Amino acid sequence: MNPADLPPEVSCPPALVLAMRDIAQGPLAQQVQAIDQGTYPREVLQQLAAAGGMSAHLERPGQPADYGLAIQAMAEVSQVCGSTGFMMWCQAVCGLYLQACGNPALAGQVLSDHVQGRRLGGTGLSNPMKSFAQIEAMLLKATPTEGGYRVNGTLPWVSNLGPDHYFGAIAAIEGQDGAALMFLLRCDAPGVTLKPCPAFSGMEGTGTYAVQVKQLFVGAADTIAAPAQPLIARIRAGFVLLQCGMAVGVTQGAIDSMWAVENQLGHVNQFLDDRPGALQAELDALTTRVMQLAKTPNDPSTEFFIDVLDARAHGAELCLRAAQSALMHQGARGYLLSSDVQRRVRESHFVAIVTPAIKHLRKEMARLSAEEMPA
Amino acid sequence: MNDARLSPAEAPWQLYICHACGYIYNEHDGDPDSGLPAGTRFADIPDDWECPLCGVTKSDFEPYVPPDLGALKSAAPCHATAPRAAPGIVVVGAGKAGWQLIEQLRAQLPETPITLVTACAGDVYDKPLLSVAMARQLATPALVKEPGADAAARLRVRLLAHTRALHICTASQTLRTTHGPVPYASLVLAHGAQAALPSPLRADLCWRINHLQAYQRFRAALGSAPRHVAIVGAGLIGSELANDLALGGHRVTLIDTQDRPLARWPAAEAGQPLLAAWSGLPITFMGAVRLQQLERQGAQYRLTTTDGQTVLADQVVAATGLVTPSRLAASAGLAWDNGIAVDAGTLQTSVPHIYALGDCISVNGCASRYIEPILRQAQTLTSALVCQCLPSEARAAPTPYTVRDAVVRVKTTSLPLSLH
Repeated sequence: MNPADLPPEVSCPPALVLAMRDIAQGPLAQQVQAIDQGTYPREVLQQLAAAGGMSAHLERPGQPADYGLAIQAMAEVSQVCGSTGFMMWCQAVCGLYLQACGNPALAGQVLSDHVQGRRLGGTGLSNPMKSFAQIEAMLLKATPTEGGYRVNGTLPWVSNLGPDHYFGAIAAIEGQDGAALMFLLRCDAPGVTLKPCPAFSGMEGTGTYAVQVKQLFVGAADTIAAPAQPLIARIRAGFVLLQCGMAVGVTQGAIDSMWAVENQLGHVNQFLDDRPGALQAELDALTTRVMQLAKTPNDPSTEFFIDVLDARAHGAELCLRAAQSALMHQGARGYLLSSDVQRRVRESHFVAIVTPAIKHLRKEMARLSAEEMPA
Repeated sequence: MNDARLSPAEAPWQLYICHACGYIYNEHDGDPDSGLPAGTRFADIPDDWECPLCGVTKSDFEPYVPPDLGALKSAAPCHATAPRAAPGIVVVGAGKAGWQLIEQLRAQLPETPITLVTACAGDVYDKPLLSVAMARQLATPALVKEPGADAAARLRVRLLAHTRALHICTASQTLRTTHGPVPYASLVLAHGAQAALPSPLRADLCWRINHLQAYQRFRAALGSAPRHVAIVGAGLIGSELANDLALGGHRVTLIDTQDRPLARWPAAEAGQPLLAAWSGLPITFMGAVRLQQLERQGAQYRLTTTDGQTVLADQVVAATGLVTPSRLAASAGLAWDNGIAVDAGTLQTSVPHIYALGDCISVNGCASRYIEPILRQAQTLTSALVCQCLPSEARAAPTPYTVRDAVVRVKTTSLPLSLH
């Protein structure tokens, strides 16, 4: 492909993307295998955050929110390490909650430290999102008490956590039918215990824990929204859209590894379906679609949200196909435990099953597409 | 075996499932790693015990009965279907236009894979009869001429029922749906039009009797007793519905901004004789009014007009015209002119390999919402698609579809009309 044929934004990447590339292909590339097997890359994450990689979507004075840039940054890193790309998403959406909450206790120093990567955090919205979509019951319960709430329950597998981290969580408010409290759950607060998870097939270095909560007090200072639903409705498209960065990056990494063996293996690889050129064309069309959607992340319409969900689903499907095809292209060398090709197959599985998984996306699109009628 | 006669110690071992991660606790095995010896009853597990897989507590478990895999397998339809990857002709929409086209295509292309994607069950029925069915109080099964699955089997069509078409990727020739991507060689959009709902009408407050499922749910909402139904819009659909609901024993208030029903036609030919024919039926026509507000009032609905009149009705039906949904067309960048713009010669849209017919198309900016043109459109489109499958020297130009002034037959049984 001739670089001169590419649109300007592709041929000349923004400075932020170049900064991500330097870190991803430098210090991150050194530890990719260790991260896959369980090392949490705190320093790299902090470098990426400090360079602005997890906050381009957050509006700041003199700098409008740019979801497209945030997605490009995430894609650049995911191309090298899907785990780290995923943790960028965790940090990015946690920042989104802190900014969208309008709570001065969170939107000031806490947000500023978060954006700079001085503090790290995640999101525990997998269960509540499925609960809102009527897929499962809410696992955390909040009981109103003097000055706030007492929260109890256990969330399985929340990522990008550590002893001094925090994450956005949602609890069902007892006695208030359907109402929910969204709050910043601090891992070092009294009543909170992080429990290690059993081994997963990959992405072990993502700081993923089960979080046990017993009689945790949540006051006004840590409240993100009560009720939670209006805020969720406002940020839901951005939440899902940002995940496209992971899908685009992992897919690109897989395509690149097909080209890498083309000179030696092209004579046999030509008999495979899903060749890199065709996958690249499909990825480019999807990226264009995602970038278009990223221009209006706050569009509240159902039609827009269905488009976002479908783009995310397409990303997951393409990611699966590309990673699988990359292994077919590389053959035995891609099957080595040290190969990024087999690692990417497992990363692609993660992109397809992390909430919202392909099946959740399709169910939600069907639900949102159904014609409304009188009760 | 009667478990009630057994002592607790003899009761069969029970299973419990974690609804967070799916781990199954088996009383027979216990959880020795967490200090629960084999044979520990679930009731005897301390409340602070944690799921060994994901860490949630006992309260997040529920009793589990393993499924009978044999029964599940024998209940599921297990028949080979054409592979998803076989791109053939993909049709979106199982209304008159979709099925009519497929009948003709299958007659001429016995081997070409055809896939039908539809949001409904795909049952074959005549939409104009939905109104007549009101008068005769017909149940839904009586309206279905052929179940969708039967029609699909007869015509060897892969039917993706209850499936939403979401997006068209033109470069990779793939239709994205809620049941996965569907590749196409040729794509035909036959998804029709949907009811327009001008303010203050709202989807959760008024019915649109535009398909079988809506008819079914509206019938259920009416129940068996006579009701008062307000119909907003006294065009063709609104007038037929008013006529048929009244014959079905219901009281009807028909509301329109014009001073007579069927106001598109001259008063002396349509509106006036129709009103005269209705004089013996429980139909009140409220003409020359504009609806200002529609709201719930208890179990009923209150309609308020701009000149201050109010109507209290048990159900409200909107018959305020149709609009063509633009999602799919926009996703493929199809030219749009009051609907999906197609070439009359082939019914091809502005994008290669994508065609359209029925209520969703426009020819030279004109949309048609009638049945009569659909058969002729299906003939033109079938010829065009058959041509694609023939060697170029054997291709003959399809007979172009022509827009004709339709004679509209108004099935107001009190006074059937044919209007030009």
